Amino acid sequence: MGEAIVITSGKGGVGKTTSTANLGTALALQGKKVCLVDTDIGLRNLDVILGLENRIIYDLVDVVEGRCKVHQALVKDKRFEEGLFLLPAAQTTDKSAVSPEQVKTLVENLKRDYDYVLIDCPAGIEQGYKNAIAGADRAIVVTTPEISAVRDADRIIGLLELEDIEPPKLIINRIKQQLVSEGDALDVNEITTHLSIDLLGIVADDENVISSSNKGEPVVLDPANPAAIGYRNIARRILGESVPLMSLDKGRTGFFGKIKSIFSR
Amino acid sequence: MKQMTTRQYVTIKGTKDGLVLRLDDKCAYSDLLAELRSKVAEDELEGLAEVQLDTGTRYCDEDELKEIMNIVHESPNLRVSKIQSDVVSMEECNRRVLEKQSETYIGIVRSGQVVQAKGDLVVIGDVNPNARVVAAGSIYVLGRLKGIAHAGANGNTEAVIAASWLEATHLMIADQIQLMTDELTILSEHPEMECAYLHSNGFIAIDRLQELRILRPQLSSFKGGS
Repeated sequence: MGEAIVITSGKGGVGKTTSTANLGTALALQGKKVCLVDTDIGLRNLDVILGLENRIIYDLVDVVEGRCKVHQALVKDKRFEEGLFLLPAAQTTDKSAVSPEQVKTLVENLKRDYDYVLIDCPAGIEQGYKNAIAGADRAIVVTTPEISAVRDADRIIGLLELEDIEPPKLIINRIKQQLVSEGDALDVNEITTHLSIDLLGIVADDENVISSSNKGEPVVLDPANPAAIGYRNIARRILGESVPLMSLDKGRTGFFGKIKSIFSR
Repeated sequence: MKQMTTRQYVTIKGTKDGLVLRLDDKCAYSDLLAELRSKVAEDELEGLAEVQLDTGTRYCDEDELKEIMNIVHESPNLRVSKIQSDVVSMEECNRRVLEKQSETYIGIVRSGQVVQAKGDLVVIGDVNPNARVVAAGSIYVLGRLKGIAHAGANGNTEAVIAASWLEATHLMIADQIQLMTDELTILSEHPEMECAYLHSNGFIAIDRLQELRILRPQLSSFKGGS
């Protein structure tokens, strides 16, 4: 029985989909069997970032409405033997096409066959969000070092805390080291203190993330890229490896130390 | 009518706070009203006098109090400033007990969340921006107050808002609102250990937490000690 993790943020454009694609790929690189579920019905992107757009035959709504079997709708990522699959969202309808109960049943089924089911949540706190979190066991909140993104993260954490899932964990995405050191952007400590949830990891801002997304190759495939290292570390943390999350302070300094050494290279 | 001359149901007393109309609490309500009406009619005051009503141990509901006040107001010279009573209904009593109680919330009040209390509210944790804490009594935040706080929500102007870190976006006490704009620069410089209260000028003022002892001594419910 695998684990379902929803990746959410409240605000749009902070990197939910990019994080889902990269974490899924990173977990597959670690030899895990991963299924990515795009719940952003009507505005699907995850397939594009993974470069699987032109291989979609059926989608999530087709599965829920019984037009096909789950395995028929899953798109296999050929870069991995049997490690990474995508259940794409439908593009021709909207969030109301499915109900939270339906998504929950679907995710429960997927959990039987996969080690990790990563659910890409749409922006907002309405129907799409409710669908996305329905089947999740854990939640990851993605934010960026901007006040607006942190405010929305706060809102979404408040909503997640009302759900019957583990306390959410935080990813701070697109950290521009230069802005932080000049005091023009929120630093990691400020954000974690404000939101007061456990930090799962940080991802440096890197222009290759965009170019690789455009090419349909998640940046995490490039082991030398700083953002890729961030995502790989987060994946290892999800697996319970590497930097222990238990003793937060020690874990953080170790982790930041690593990040610092990347920048000083 | 003979009895009325022998025993008075309505007595008027002058005290240092003004006139007090003491209404007998043993006689029949209708007799009391009749005597009050005649007392008010024969009154020969000049100018406007404020009177306090004292109903003793007679319980009067709102309609009855209104009726009594209307009779007093039949005289052009009398105005009721206050009504005193030695008794309250159970309902009123429970409400007052609730208002005196303090409720404790442990955790972070996050954006979009509202925490409400019928009496005082103690928050152990932060109140984040766009979160709202509301209390009929005072609000005490052991943490950072960065959202919206409304103390004395039912109109209690004595209520205060105190926080380890007072950086709220909006402060409200009773029906007064204070936007925490840059004009209150004192806030941004020393947001630590502060309290907000309704100043006698009608506006919300902010001072050091330690000043509460002088500003609102009645908030202390602590008895005894050495």
